[in-house]
Amino acid sequence: MIAAPALRRRRATARLLTGVLILLLFGVPVLYITMVAFERSAHFLSSPMTPPTSPDLGNFGTAWSGANLARELINTVVYSVVASGLSTLLALLVAFPLARRLIRGHQALYALLAVGLFLPLSIIPLFIEARMLHLFNNMPGYILLHIEPGMPLGVVLLTAFVLAIPGELDEAAWVDGVSYLRYLGRVIVPLTAPALLITFLYGMLGVWNDIIGPTVLLAATSQNLFPTALGVYSYYGLNESYYTLFAAAVVIVSLPLVLLFAGTQRQLIRASIAGSVKG
Amino acid sequence: MTGDSAAGNAAPGSAAPSSPVAGRLAVRRAVHRRRRAAGPARLLSARSRALMWSGIALAIAVYVLFGLVPAAATALVSFTDYADFPGAPVHFTGLANYTSMFTVNRPGFMPAVIATAVFVIAVTVLQNVLALAIAHRLVGDTRWNAVMRVVVFLPIVLGVTIVGLIWILFFDPGQGPGSSLWGAFGARSAFFGSASLAMPLVIFVQIWQNTGFSTMVFIGGLKAISPEIYQAASLDGVRAWQRLRRITWPLLAPSVTVNVLLAVVGAATVYNLIYVLTDGQNGTMTLGMLSFNAAFGTSGGANLGYGAAVGTVLFVVTLVVALPLMWYLRRRERRLLA
Repeated sequence: MIAAPALRRRRATARLLTGVLILLLFGVPVLYITMVAFERSAHFLSSPMTPPTSPDLGNFGTAWSGANLARELINTVVYSVVASGLSTLLALLVAFPLARRLIRGHQALYALLAVGLFLPLSIIPLFIEARMLHLFNNMPGYILLHIEPGMPLGVVLLTAFVLAIPGELDEAAWVDGVSYLRYLGRVIVPLTAPALLITFLYGMLGVWNDIIGPTVLLAATSQNLFPTALGVYSYYGLNESYYTLFAAAVVIVSLPLVLLFAGTQRQLIRASIAGSVKG
Repeated sequence: MTGDSAAGNAAPGSAAPSSPVAGRLAVRRAVHRRRRAAGPARLLSARSRALMWSGIALAIAVYVLFGLVPAAATALVSFTDYADFPGAPVHFTGLANYTSMFTVNRPGFMPAVIATAVFVIAVTVLQNVLALAIAHRLVGDTRWNAVMRVVVFLPIVLGVTIVGLIWILFFDPGQGPGSSLWGAFGARSAFFGSASLAMPLVIFVQIWQNTGFSTMVFIGGLKAISPEIYQAASLDGVRAWQRLRRITWPLLAPSVTVNVLLAVVGAATVYNLIYVLTDGQNGTMTLGMLSFNAAFGTSGGANLGYGAAVGTVLFVVTLVVALPLMWYLRRRERRLLA
């Protein structure tokens, strides 16, 4: 209580400083890559640290056509939305009966699915399996192979959320003859929306940003099947004069996801609060 | 909120078919009452139960086929000399891949064990300390904090590949801002190409990439602590450090459990980030990277059997570390929150 104004001022300064530090640490590298995307190659090579005198949009056009980014962006959206959508749906279809103990051995089954969070890199057998089942180097196969990774987290999250919904709700609906799927769709889906959103977004991120998957599960010659991760990667390692193109490709590829997450961050925080309250 | 309205909508819609004949409804309810005695699933019609079972079966089929089978197959392949050459014969070689890890034939194994231990411990400790500090700063719901939360979360959204490439560009020995920064102190470095700096930098990038997620979990945990506890503490004249040690830290136990486990498992199994940053060179070959490198790497040479053996060792070690850790952290939660 002594010298309150001085203390408050010191605290405000500390808050400002820590805020600036956080922005520097996490924002500057991203700003740097964005700046490079607007530079001419010659300017970048001579003075990489200074902002361009006149922003150049040429990199975006060249990167767009050069790495076949349009095609790759479509591929990536299809892969990630379909695979993660199916992953979320399947997680719900198994999490609900598990949480409600509708089946025998629900505890064992839950443990079996939760172990999936720990499963190690199994890309080697997955690669062998993909070739045996003709899932190697084709679009449906690539999607099918990417459904599983998102499921364990989804099952764990959704089970916790379903447990928080009173069971009387299902009994009342079923006694009245509401069908199972209709009940899930009309009641459970809205009530577990935050968990469904997290499951879907994380699953989507996993597929969107996968780099090992496409290098192993797609043939190096099938460029029309490539996701953006490979296209962006193709600009790296050429030489330094391609860095501006690489930066432009990064901006193009990341923008849709960044906007999606900026738009949903409030729900994400709410879901993480709900999750931690349940512990 | 939308959930409440949807639940409200479902009830009248479902009541419609049963309303005409009251007698039939009574019979139906009696049937359902009898069914309830035999477990909640009995309330469902035969058709609904069939749908429920097909949903479960479909999910488990996908999970087993593309999750468990490959994991189990990793163990199987690890007992063979499977190599990715067309037409190359596969032989059962018993434990040869495992015993060879400790011989001069596989000089990379023991250094990889040490690199993994260093990596996991450094990442877990530093990431959680940093995330807690940031969460503490960003917990208030101001507009600036909302912006900063998005910025801290950005690396998660950008993904491993792009984060890796951004930092390679940043620490490019010739062109990057990193070398200008070093130059200001009169120093030069090859960064990811440097034997002494590569590992600390890879640790840094792994933390930078994942702090956003840990921060979100901590913000959720901090918000769940009732403000009355802090008010009571401030009335009793508890100092900031004591408040952190005696109130915040114990009450954050559930978030600590989640964050420590995710950091340990995430760091132990990482390979894609290292693949992008250093390809395992300069002392950054962890077990996850070694497993990938032995199987697919340019230097390792298509030895799927040995790669699978390293992957299996990694899985067992991760489980042996993570399960007791989980048990301990859960017990700690119960002790602190009781």
